[in-house]
Amino acid sequence: MTTAPWPYLDTHQSRTHEPTPYEHKLAATLEEVFTKDGHELADVIRGLNSRQVHAPDGAPWTEESFRAEMHRLGA
Amino acid sequence: MTLSTTATAEHIYATGLRNQWHPVVPSDFVAPGAMRKVTALGEQWLLFRRSDGALSMLADRCPHRGAPLSLGKHLGDRVACWYHGVEVETDGTVSSVPGLPGCNLEGKKLVTSLPVREAAGAILAYFGDEAHPEPAELTLPDPLTDPEVEPILCYAEWNVPWRYAMENLLDPMHGAFLHHESHTMYDGDTTAKFRIRETHRGYFFEKTDQRGVNFDWVELCRTGIDWVDLTIPYPPSAGPGGAFGIVGAACPVDAERTGVFFWRYRRVQGWQRDTWRFLYKTLIEKRHWEVLEQDRVMLEAMPADADQGENLYQHDLGVVRLRRLYRAQAESQSAAADG
Repeated sequence: MTTAPWPYLDTHQSRTHEPTPYEHKLAATLEEVFTKDGHELADVIRGLNSRQVHAPDGAPWTEESFRAEMHRLGA
Repeated sequence: MTLSTTATAEHIYATGLRNQWHPVVPSDFVAPGAMRKVTALGEQWLLFRRSDGALSMLADRCPHRGAPLSLGKHLGDRVACWYHGVEVETDGTVSSVPGLPGCNLEGKKLVTSLPVREAAGAILAYFGDEAHPEPAELTLPDPLTDPEVEPILCYAEWNVPWRYAMENLLDPMHGAFLHHESHTMYDGDTTAKFRIRETHRGYFFEKTDQRGVNFDWVELCRTGIDWVDLTIPYPPSAGPGGAFGIVGAACPVDAERTGVFFWRYRRVQGWQRDTWRFLYKTLIEKRHWEVLEQDRVMLEAMPADADQGENLYQHDLGVVRLRRLYRAQAESQSAAADG
């Protein structure tokens, strides 16, 4: 039987792993972009690229690569 | 015997209303092929999941001598009591008494088995008393079933009576004070007038003079399960999608303990959904957690007699209404036994 200590108080319940430095930096930069540049996809791509925060392959973000990466990271 | 019709109104009020659905624990607390002991509505239960995922919930009590079935063995489609090997099926029927094959316990349904459902990552169960074993009609909270909406569950266990957890949700004004130093509830006026507005499924408790700024309204929904709906604005850093909502519900564990369920939800699709989920997992979930901890710390520190000798004011109408409703229901569920 599963033992169940009381109380269950877990800060992180949606993660499957501790975010990598890359994921931390990308998330923090996204928050900055959303705050300063806007909420449209074009704003986001421009905002990330102008801050030199690139896609994992080192290339500048495109709408396509950003959608794919968010789908991977947000699943 | 579980959830007796002879329970007093005080006992029902303290340990949770019967004849309705309650959330129990998150679904992933019971892995395929596993069992888990849980306490709910002041009673001991066994959650039992077959390897194909099918879930059942039994009173945690062997019908032979009363030993906890949760100490027994998972036999795939049955549980065998550790004490004398009595085997109980997932619907509560005794399938075998190994010590005396053919004895008259065999084939009898002697263990209470509760109807269960799973929704949005949580196990829900119907807690009927002896006079109401058939499950009440259940309408799931719409933000949890709407394909346009993305909910993420947060579950926590608090050392507070279940009523205090619910009252906290029907008290939006605490947001501007208790949560003032948070990422979402820093804004808005700290004075307000509230009103109650009836709905077909419960009632709204809402500010008359402010909307979309802080925790400005809450709807109590009674749809076979009690839950609340509310929204809280996000700062621009959370990206597109606007405010996030919360579906809140509580499992009355016993008179002093509660399992709280908060589904944070947002009306987002496509890259907006994925981005919110990524930010949530990486940064936002921790901030939400800190807000929830403020509630826990406050509620756990409340004296046991906090709801005696209060001096309430206009902001407490939502709480007063909730208490009356729950008190009346506890009395009628108890009186039903006398009738």
